Amino acid sequence: MQKLRRIVALSRFLTVRYLRDKTALFFTFAFPLIFLVVFGGIFGSDNGPSFDVALINRSTEPFSEEFVEIAAQGDFLNFQETEDFEVASEQLGRGEFSAIVELPEGFGALDEEGRPSGSIITYVDEADQQQSAAFSAVMQGLLDGVNAQFIDVDPPPLAIEQQSIQTANLTQFDYILAGLIGFSILTLGIFSMTEGFAVDKKNGALKRLRVAPIEAWQLIIATAISRVLVGILTVAVMFIVAVVFFDFNMRGDYLSFGLFTILSTICLFGFGMAIAGWAKDGNQAAPLSNLVAFPMMFLSGVFFPRFLMPDFLQAMTFYLPLTPVVDGLRLILTEGSTILQIGPQLAVIGAWIVIIYTVAFKVFRWD
Amino acid sequence: MKYVLEVKNLKKRYGSITTVDGVSFSVKTGEIFGILGPNGAGKTTTLEMIEALRSIDGGTATLAGLDVAEQPNRVKEIIGVQLQSSSFFDNLYLGELLRMFGGLYSQQVDVARLLDEVQLGDKIKSQVGTLSGGQKQRFSVAAALVNNPKILFLDEPTTGLDPQSRRNLWELIQNIRDKNITVVMTTHYMEEAELLCDRVAVMDKGKIIALDTPDKLIQDLLKKGFKKKKKVQEADLEDVFINLTGKELREG
Repeated sequence: MQKLRRIVALSRFLTVRYLRDKTALFFTFAFPLIFLVVFGGIFGSDNGPSFDVALINRSTEPFSEEFVEIAAQGDFLNFQETEDFEVASEQLGRGEFSAIVELPEGFGALDEEGRPSGSIITYVDEADQQQSAAFSAVMQGLLDGVNAQFIDVDPPPLAIEQQSIQTANLTQFDYILAGLIGFSILTLGIFSMTEGFAVDKKNGALKRLRVAPIEAWQLIIATAISRVLVGILTVAVMFIVAVVFFDFNMRGDYLSFGLFTILSTICLFGFGMAIAGWAKDGNQAAPLSNLVAFPMMFLSGVFFPRFLMPDFLQAMTFYLPLTPVVDGLRLILTEGSTILQIGPQLAVIGAWIVIIYTVAFKVFRWD
Repeated sequence: MKYVLEVKNLKKRYGSITTVDGVSFSVKTGEIFGILGPNGAGKTTTLEMIEALRSIDGGTATLAGLDVAEQPNRVKEIIGVQLQSSSFFDNLYLGELLRMFGGLYSQQVDVARLLDEVQLGDKIKSQVGTLSGGQKQRFSVAAALVNNPKILFLDEPTTGLDPQSRRNLWELIQNIRDKNITVVMTTHYMEEAELLCDRVAVMDKGKIIALDTPDKLIQDLLKKGFKKKKKVQEADLEDVFINLTGKELREG
């Protein structure tokens, strides 16, 4: 019991110390926040996919003008009128447009029954299958809507139902937020140890600590506690920024969020502790930290979703410790899962905690 | 208990090199015991074995009846240590550091009083990095006293200090002894050992080659027919400096 009280007492001082360390604060708070603001600005406040489309109107029929007006009202299509097909093609190639829509000569001319008729020609980049399919669907929907408006006859024999895709309306920002929170926990857990702890060991501050009747496991736990406290603070700040500045909608419950943050911090800190506990100084710790942290940053779904990876890579990276952290955060934050519903993530994190702390206790050196 | 520390045949090996080669001595309760020797003699290693900071390869050290090798944590509860190059956490104030160390012994610390005793009372909200050499050493001593130790170990406490700071630290050490705390200190300054220590062990190349009070050691030498080459004057240059600049502490 007395040992526990000593651990808690020590952890208070370690936390205060961390919160006064300007470099540590920058990397823990400011750095991820900068990412959040930049990525959030790019992807944020997004109501879903939208397409920038070049529109070439060669028709002189009055209906073609009306068609353009109707089309522009939709949320999903941003039309930009242009005259030059060649230029538009180049821009399509560069990704500035998702498609080119051409209203050919005679489009909208009234047929025998007095209905506007004609075909729209759409040009899409054949290299981008996913986007082309999505765009076609949207265009078809638009056409169907127009058909329904202007043709007041019985529904045509081949009725086309406009299918609206029911999604949870996940935006790219939702993915990014989970990823960046995971990123900040990674920074806190691993890089803060390379800087702080390794330096303390090299300059003898840890040795001075050891003069007192403290054992390695007590120091490890006290440091873990201090990191968890800072972790909660960091994540809370990022969350508040997301809600206030990027209209983020929390879909999960805060208890699950909090518990999962604590668990994730404990897990990733284990790696930082194993490395810094073993290394003699920063020169030994830094390469190891980079070796562990950087691959995870790119393979665990921090900056882009893992479903974009080939299957075999997805399968392998599932077991990296940061992956279940990012996935779990996303499931809780944006899909409303509770902590009890993310069993697979908890299992992987739990397994890593057992493994990495066993290693950390074994390889720890005071100097 | 007459002897608060008994060291018998202590040994430390690093590969084929034996840095501490069968060191034995006993320290009386309440005395200032010095270990005098050049750099590399093995003084620090000896001390660190007794402080349970280094493993003991041979022999025993018994402190207040406790075997250091077998009960290192209980020994640590009752000793205070000033390391040769003490480093403390940055970003914590002196007061906080003292309370932190106190907490490691489950002790409440009267931080203000402790800092006053080492004349750092006005630095309670300063960080170690802003202190001068003399101030750092004084803080180091204060940190070693948070747990009201029975024995205080000082490893070269005045190395690198200016004459005024040295004298001040000597006074501090004597005050500590007067409070009934046994002091074990290492030094390579002869006059320091002569001035402060009740008894001195002379150490060289991992062995103790003489152990007695400073007076007796000098007497023994004179009996061998030793004559000092230079006539000893009543004062030396260090006295000149002190006289010119004043005995009070002057912090840069």
